Amino acid sequence: MSISISNISKSFARYPALNGVSVEIASGELLALLGPSGSGKTTLLRVIAGLEFPDNGGTVSFGGCDVTSLSAYKRRAGFVFQHYALFAHMNVFENIAFAFRVLPRRKRPAESAVRERVGTLLEAVQLTEFEKRLPSQLSGGQRQRVAFARALAIEPEVLLLDEPFGALDAKVRKDLRRWLREFHERIKLTTIFVTHDQDEAFEVADRVILIDKGIIQQSGTPAEVRSNPANEFVRDFLDLPHK
Amino acid sequence: MNSRAQKRCRRHALPGLGLTLGFSLLYLGLVVLIPFSALFLKTASGGWPHFWETVTSPRVVASYRVSFGISLIAALVNGVFGVIAAWVLVRYRFPGRRILDAIVDLPFALPTAVAGIALTALYAPNDWIGSWLKPLGIQVAFTQLGIFVALTFIGLPFVVRTVQPVIQDLVAEVEEAAACLGANRWHTFRRVIFPALLPSILTGVTLAYGRAVGEYGSVVFISGNLPFKTEITPLMIITKLEQYDYSGAAAIGFVMLVASFVILIVSNGLQSWNNKRHGIS
Amino acid sequence: MAGASTIHLRSQALPLRATAESPVAKAVLIGITLVFLGLFLLLPLVVVFQEAFSKGAAAFLHALRDPYTLSAIWLTLLVAAIVVPMNTVFGLAAAWSLTRFRFRGRSFLVTLIDLPLWVSPVIGGLIYVLVFGAQGWFGPWLREHDIRIIFAVPGIVLATVFVTFPFVARGLIPLMEAQGIKEEEAALTLGANGWQIFRRVTLPKIKWGLLYGVILCNARAMGEFGAVSVVSGHIRGKTTTMPLQIEILYNEYQFAAAFAVASLLALLAIITLILKTHAEWRAERQLREATR
Repeated sequence: MSISISNISKSFARYPALNGVSVEIASGELLALLGPSGSGKTTLLRVIAGLEFPDNGGTVSFGGCDVTSLSAYKRRAGFVFQHYALFAHMNVFENIAFAFRVLPRRKRPAESAVRERVGTLLEAVQLTEFEKRLPSQLSGGQRQRVAFARALAIEPEVLLLDEPFGALDAKVRKDLRRWLREFHERIKLTTIFVTHDQDEAFEVADRVILIDKGIIQQSGTPAEVRSNPANEFVRDFLDLPHK
Repeated sequence: MNSRAQKRCRRHALPGLGLTLGFSLLYLGLVVLIPFSALFLKTASGGWPHFWETVTSPRVVASYRVSFGISLIAALVNGVFGVIAAWVLVRYRFPGRRILDAIVDLPFALPTAVAGIALTALYAPNDWIGSWLKPLGIQVAFTQLGIFVALTFIGLPFVVRTVQPVIQDLVAEVEEAAACLGANRWHTFRRVIFPALLPSILTGVTLAYGRAVGEYGSVVFISGNLPFKTEITPLMIITKLEQYDYSGAAAIGFVMLVASFVILIVSNGLQSWNNKRHGIS
Repeated sequence: MAGASTIHLRSQALPLRATAESPVAKAVLIGITLVFLGLFLLLPLVVVFQEAFSKGAAAFLHALRDPYTLSAIWLTLLVAAIVVPMNTVFGLAAAWSLTRFRFRGRSFLVTLIDLPLWVSPVIGGLIYVLVFGAQGWFGPWLREHDIRIIFAVPGIVLATVFVTFPFVARGLIPLMEAQGIKEEEAALTLGANGWQIFRRVTLPKIKWGLLYGVILCNARAMGEFGAVSVVSGHIRGKTTTMPLQIEILYNEYQFAAAFAVASLLALLAIITLILKTHAEWRAERQLREATR
């Protein structure tokens, strides 16, 4: 599912978070939105997701269809939150099954079908034996994987991750990065993730977009950006030597 | 439904704003705004001379002295003893502490009429404490002293509950640093602890004051309602209503509202000062 | 107003530290506190029960079985049964709109919700008399249609709604504000509609805060005196609630009977304190776990 973003602006109480941003994302691409705090990267992700709506004028399109005024679910965008946002009072199974439970009655699968699909998802994230646990009984890395599985339950066309590994310690981060890369190789889902960590962006993504102050600074493959930084900001942010 | 949604430029992702806000505004409008506008209009429709005559009549002015004056004294007393109680409840351990801590909220939970008759029975001359004080020549019930007692009861939780969280968050190291620098406990209290607590104490006192000024049920029994001596302003409103002087009642109500509004503004100001000092955003 | 109608994170008392007061100072402070709290809080409570039984248990029961008292108890329960659900719905709606969204005028609304806590309860009754009373705005119209609001049950319900509507909202707003909306947004991305989000995600998170607000709302609704006194007309058997009945009995010098009724409300207050403390503790714990 390709994504096309055109002229998106978004202000919060007169603070301009995004300023006329336009991006084209190819189907199946693994894209990183990289930038410092307050750069607008999370806002852009949320606008793509349908959790924020742009100020008048901008459009978001999925596969050529204008989805700008569609809700998040209708866009079939799976979202993984920075601090997982798991439902604290439900166990792992119910968290992942949530998407099935809230389907309208006629579309809702039978309990056995739900069990089967949740089981498959649990296997995909290697958490089968944890299905009865509550989120408070899981480690950070395990919670992150539950959040993944839960987002995948809606069979999304697009996967959006907000600083997915930010709250984890170094070793877990490395393992999960590898896992995300492998997962993307297997299931070529258009995936966008937000990060402020350049190592992470460069290691995992096919393409990197650098954002600062609500404006796109540069877009390209990791190699391209490293060898040809477009401006002062990119050079500073990536710690590249000045000309 | 879909095309309608697509035409609207939606600004909130989470649903329900229209429904919940609409209902809340309707509710508030019916329960609060319309009745209060009746108050303002009735005050105005009575005409200025009647308004002025009512709110400055000697008996009503005497009630201001009682309501606003004694409330202040009660609030200040609560300020002093409330801080001590808050300190003791947070910092010390002793049997019954938890129960005592829970009981601090009693004035919130106990109906005012029950408090009213209990305090009257407690301080009436022929029984309980009243009978011990009688030989000393001190009468509490049916005097301004009784009103003071009732208003102290009513305001008690405000200071304690406002100061407690601040005491809890006092950083131990600051006190220890002061001690290492040679300050004795009293010095530490005066220069380190008390300034940190001051905003919350003032907030609590203001809250207690605001509550005491409008209090009715706990006070009308113990006060005895002697004109010019122990009549509280809310009672004046009721008296006017009983005389069918609606605009007079509205006038006094208006004065009380203005006073409450001023106290509210002061308290809000103090509370944001308190929050800034305390570190809550 | 802050105080017991909002939940704040409270930890337990600190253990004794090196910089503690001298034992003498400590004893004095504890003593002052015990005297202060005992004198102002415990003693009145004791007085209520002592006076209620001062003429013996038989007289106590007899007082409670008096028909006027029974109808006062019934009316109190009826009013609470109407007012508490109404204000709970309002509290939930207000909390949802004020904590899940940002819009202009939001803080004004939050302040407006606190209003009844700031004005005298007598004013809470006065305003309805001015609207529905004989000389009020709708007075003549109501008389024409033979509808009684003031000096009848509807007036009592209205006045009670006014003084108690903040409690549920104030129990929920800080809690829902602190909990944030990420879980609700997650549910949105998973396809839940508004009602499903509320029922499956929000409600379990707020249940203890909700209970806390409902308990306080109920206590105030059953115990309200000033506002109800203004609108009720004190018609025995018809428009007296328990607090008004206490006043009537007291003014007739039937002290033991007055205290008998008062002891029921005092018992309610004690139960309220117990339930409230428990609900507050559970809500704090839930909040702490959520923000871990």
